[in-house]
Amino acid sequence: MADLTERAVAAVLRPVVFAGMASLAVVITLQIVSRVLFTAVSWTEEVARFLLVWLTFLGATLALAEKRHIAVTVLTDRLPPRARRIVTAAGLLAMIAFLAALSWIGWSYMSMQSFQRSASLRIPMIYVYSVIPLSGALMAVLCLGQLLAVLTGREPDRSAP
Amino acid sequence: MSLLLFGIFAGLLVIGVPVAIAIGAGTLAAVWASGVPVLVVPQQMFAGINSFALVAVPMFILAGDIMAAGKISARLVQLADALIGFLKGGLSIVSILAAMFFAAISGSGAATTAAVSATLVPELKAKGYDPASAASLIAAGGTIGVVIPPSVPMILYAVIAQESVAKLFLNGFIPGVLMGLALMSIALVQGYRRAYPKGSPFSLRTIWRSFRSAFWGLMTPVIILGGIFSGIFTPSEAAVVAVDYAIFVSLFIYRDLGLKDIYRIVIRSGVTTAVIMFVISASAALSWALSNWQVPSAIAASVLSLSDEPMVVLAMILCVVLVTGIFIETASALIILTPILLPLVLQLGLDPVHFGIVLVVGLSIGMITPPVAINLYVASSVTGIGLERIAGAVLPYLFALIAVLVLVTYGPLLI
Repeated sequence: MADLTERAVAAVLRPVVFAGMASLAVVITLQIVSRVLFTAVSWTEEVARFLLVWLTFLGATLALAEKRHIAVTVLTDRLPPRARRIVTAAGLLAMIAFLAALSWIGWSYMSMQSFQRSASLRIPMIYVYSVIPLSGALMAVLCLGQLLAVLTGREPDRSAP
Repeated sequence: MSLLLFGIFAGLLVIGVPVAIAIGAGTLAAVWASGVPVLVVPQQMFAGINSFALVAVPMFILAGDIMAAGKISARLVQLADALIGFLKGGLSIVSILAAMFFAAISGSGAATTAAVSATLVPELKAKGYDPASAASLIAAGGTIGVVIPPSVPMILYAVIAQESVAKLFLNGFIPGVLMGLALMSIALVQGYRRAYPKGSPFSLRTIWRSFRSAFWGLMTPVIILGGIFSGIFTPSEAAVVAVDYAIFVSLFIYRDLGLKDIYRIVIRSGVTTAVIMFVISASAALSWALSNWQVPSAIAASVLSLSDEPMVVLAMILCVVLVTGIFIETASALIILTPILLPLVLQLGLDPVHFGIVLVVGLSIGMITPPVAINLYVASSVTGIGLERIAGAVLPYLFALIAVLVLVTYGPLLI
């Protein structure tokens, strides 16, 4: 189960992260070219900032599926297997609690901004903020999958790559 | 409140929860317990990364990763060999010069270590150098990657401390060169003591040939830094120019990467970026909460009550920085320490740019101090030499770098 969720999330998010990075490079290249050759366009900085926010949250989700987050594993690596399973499960529970709360609070924050529009392009900010509840929920689901794997005895490898 | 926050943060960190989530969970719990509206958490997490200056982070990481994957690093190594390979123990000195060249292209320590060790360690082994010692020297040289500009940690510091990225970059040169010289002199002594062979003999023709072959790689820092210091580009724009240039050079001039390689590298750099940016995002909420409870000024006051002598306080800060670097990865440590230590430093009347350089050099040393030592891991996985053996050989280089850190802290090196 855990593997399947992780693989599905990774398969969807890899092209998304690629698109985010590529658009970031293209938009700012456009900003430079237009400033040098024509007149400066005003919307590129705003788009770049929003792309960065999306890239951060969705990339962090992909990092969770690929187990690439920065964590201190020196102590947990030294524990005997049984104790390590308990500690890992406790950590995952805390992560699920935080991510679910973040998703929920992020949702209310997004809903509060439903009439706000961005300064330059007049994009409804609700689209920009939606990445917080979305990725919070996805990460919570990924952690839930990892928790189930730990509890059923198929321990996920959480050590650094 | 701050006790609850740091208690949860430290507790989760110890049991292996990712740094960003440990920070976020501690902050959210403390904010909620204190009765402040919790909406401030997503608001600050968003605001902390909604910054155009931070766009430089993914782009410098990507440019460095593309350059490291292609043949540019091999060409830089050849040039370094032609320049100083004639010295005894030449190849190990070459590895440091190559790391310095690559540091001017890449903003990360891990990318610098990977680029140099992949090219040089096989050759060092073949010529009879002690492989563990060679790998640990390159890992130590990799720390220069974040000191000679461009530098990802310097961008992070500049954004958090609201300083100019260009000023930090400018002040990274001298400390970076000093680190290189310190490591080279140790390598030279070891070269004589262990009777290592010399590298390529000195010849102007070889230098010219390898210079021409490395020319396109060497132009990268000229374009990036020239563009920033002359004011043509902002640092974020310069980072994107570096990406465009790196793709152009590897696809059309050196032709060492295909579109498939680039697709793979872009995703990898994207995830590397997101991991760092997620820590920044969570830390933005953390530092909002801390300053709401006036924690940094309380810490400043209690430190200043021990001593208000800048030299003494700086010594305490150095100890904190080095110890933090042992346990926490460079970028995360910088993001956590800056908002806490900066008010103290400002109260002492120290220059925030100078402090930024001290912080970056100090935390870069953490890249070679186990257990959390990214450069040693990279050197170990690239060369296949066990981590314990590399870590055991790193001690002399570690002392050399700490000596440079003290010099950078107390010496008048600021431009």
